[in-house]
Amino acid sequence: MITSDLMRFTLASASAHKMRSGLTALGIGIGVTAVVLLTSIGEGLQQYLLAEFTQFGTNIISVTPGKSETFGASTAALNTTRPLSLADAEALNRVPYVTHTNGAVMGNAEVEGNGRSRRTQVGGAGPNMPLVLSFNVTLGKFLPPDDLAAPRPFAVLGSKMRTELFDSRNPLGERIRIGGSRFRVIGVMESKGTILGFDLDDMVYIPTTRALELFNKDGLNEINILYDPSASTEEVEAGIRRMMIARHGGEDFTVTTQEQMLDVLGSVLNILQIAVAGLGGISLLVGGVGIFTIMTIAVRERTSEIGLVRSLGAVRRDVRRIFLVESILLAGLGGVGGLICGGLIVETIKIFIPALPLRYSIPYAMAAEIVAVLIGLLAGVAPAQKAANLDPVNALRTE
Amino acid sequence: MRIVDCNRIAFGAVTRYPLRTSMMLLATSIGVGSVLLLTALGESARGYVSAQFQSLGTNLIIVFPGKSETSGVSPGVMTGTTERELTLDDARALARSSAIKLFAPVIVGSMPVSRGGLERDTTVIGTTQQFAEIRQWEMALGKFLPNVDIDRASPVCVIGSLIRRELFRDEPPIGKWLRLGNRRCRITGVLSEQGTSIMVDVDEVVIVPVSYAQMLFDVSGLFRIIIQATEGDTMDRARADVIRIIKERHYGEEDITAITQDAVLSTFDGIFQTLTKALAGIASISLIVAGVLIMNVMLVAVSQRTREVGLLKALGATRRQIIALFLTEAAFLAVFGGVVGLGFGYLVTSSLRAFFPEYIFMPPVWAAAGAFGVALCCGLFFGIWPARKAAALDPIMALAGRQS
Repeated sequence: MITSDLMRFTLASASAHKMRSGLTALGIGIGVTAVVLLTSIGEGLQQYLLAEFTQFGTNIISVTPGKSETFGASTAALNTTRPLSLADAEALNRVPYVTHTNGAVMGNAEVEGNGRSRRTQVGGAGPNMPLVLSFNVTLGKFLPPDDLAAPRPFAVLGSKMRTELFDSRNPLGERIRIGGSRFRVIGVMESKGTILGFDLDDMVYIPTTRALELFNKDGLNEINILYDPSASTEEVEAGIRRMMIARHGGEDFTVTTQEQMLDVLGSVLNILQIAVAGLGGISLLVGGVGIFTIMTIAVRERTSEIGLVRSLGAVRRDVRRIFLVESILLAGLGGVGGLICGGLIVETIKIFIPALPLRYSIPYAMAAEIVAVLIGLLAGVAPAQKAANLDPVNALRTE
Repeated sequence: MRIVDCNRIAFGAVTRYPLRTSMMLLATSIGVGSVLLLTALGESARGYVSAQFQSLGTNLIIVFPGKSETSGVSPGVMTGTTERELTLDDARALARSSAIKLFAPVIVGSMPVSRGGLERDTTVIGTTQQFAEIRQWEMALGKFLPNVDIDRASPVCVIGSLIRRELFRDEPPIGKWLRLGNRRCRITGVLSEQGTSIMVDVDEVVIVPVSYAQMLFDVSGLFRIIIQATEGDTMDRARADVIRIIKERHYGEEDITAITQDAVLSTFDGIFQTLTKALAGIASISLIVAGVLIMNVMLVAVSQRTREVGLLKALGATRRQIIALFLTEAAFLAVFGGVVGLGFGYLVTSSLRAFFPEYIFMPPVWAAAGAFGVALCCGLFFGIWPARKAAALDPIMALAGRQS
């Protein structure tokens, strides 16, 4: 049987029972829609999180106190006998390809100004922080490069702190008290929003040395290092390791590159995405059962037709192909319907709830369609074989 | 038509095509089974997390320095770095509240511990004797920290089982010296194996008196104060007392955060419950697909059984009776599918339970009832159209085997 005949034959038989074919395809379509919707949510979330993490730039390496074997913070961030010092941060500037470093301390303190007070996050930062974390000032300027041992008491407000304390007034030059010490506001940071539930705008930045004094600490929480993007990360990392070991006499710190962070995050999100796609796949499986059932019924109903086709000279292979193509056609069309329907739903949700990070995932949509066609093929094999094995004489006789 | 007859005819129709029927049962049972499995997974995650929290002790309040105006976590508050620290005297003042049964100040940090030529970095916890009581820790050897005044920095320590294995192998460790940084302390006990609880591997810690930890790390402030309220309904009173006492001591400024174990637990509980419900919802989509299949097959059945419907009508069956007949058939399919799915789901979860006894793979009752209910509703809903179609057949035409 030539291919065009085969196609015409299958299309005719599929459209002979419009309702039945439609419902069978609908089963697969619902499954594909579910996969498309779920993976769109997964993909959107993935993009959103990656964007959150890369907003600080990608060529960053951070050094934290304490050796941690696993991914995660060591308790050395709390207390340690071998703290990271500002001198360490300075020394890391000399590592090849390192362009800037920033020693960071984080704490919580009462901030008073303009007759108001607010408990907030206070960050100790170096003059290079805006460069290292690509985080800019909108008003005034950032902390100046003062003497490390005795920096002047200047403070830079996060955008939320500015509105909380000064509303829309110009805060530059105003005096504020942080944990009882006096600081002068010299800048306001741009708004960065929240990242993983932590509000970056609800912050005040003061020189690191002052923050260490304020919190009575002798070690930094973290050193952020910005390096030349053209240099290889491994090389820079090795240089940092060498420098730190030379200064500390042993590896009592953890070096985390932004690349590693993104890798780990990416692989976790990928696993999540596959799991979510798998959940949607359950419906596809049920749709496959539907195709199998309907094809089995069709073979029984069309027994005399099969007998006729066989007596006109069609061989077993032809009969098998007729049914296989029909089953693949149903699944494939259902899948396409599902792709379109899923896409429409995703677009509609985007219009009505723009805050939801949804993103149509084309690779997963393609995969869903391929799986749908495969399911059609698998579900069609047994009925098609059954049809092919019918005895033509008996089949013709069947009413 | 009597109900018994109706059931008998529907059952006969269902069993007449074993392959077709078993496929519809399979479809429904995949749906019901996956709802059960996924919710069991969600529930076991919830159970695992709440067991982790419960293993910390009961009626707990956790106090740490610093306070954030906006809700949510922030590194500054979580690490307890603040300009006014929680001190040992703050902790001691808590004894004034009658709602507080036990309290333990805690300092956590990391430092190298060594013995002979063996050294490793480990987590050191500074606390008091009451900590073991709150956490319900058992000792494998010796005893926990001595019950002496908080200020006494006795050079003693208790080690986790992994530290013991790594530094002492088979030697008895009790009474031996352990070097912590550049100080020494004598081992008084070894904790029994606890495993990881809330991110800290208890087998890998060294526990020293809190004043000794202050000396080791050269700090004065506490990281946390763990409080156990007295039994009964005293949690809220205990929390209010803690905030009041420390506020008084901090010159009227509320610069601490006190969270109750229940609050944390219920937050996590809520998250996991939402997650479980979302999983159940996603799995239920497959039940709708199964419903579509039932509708499809019933439509086929209606056209195949046109003569039978015609005969029934000729014998005086009303429209309602025909509808009831086909709906009963749909309900049979859904109910049997649901039962098979429930059986399958419970079989898989109980075998998972047998292999992983530490997790509670148990589908919640609401999920089982819900999945069954949704399957039944889907069956009935998708059965309505074929049933109406059958009922609308003209008896004379139908008897002749024609649909219109």
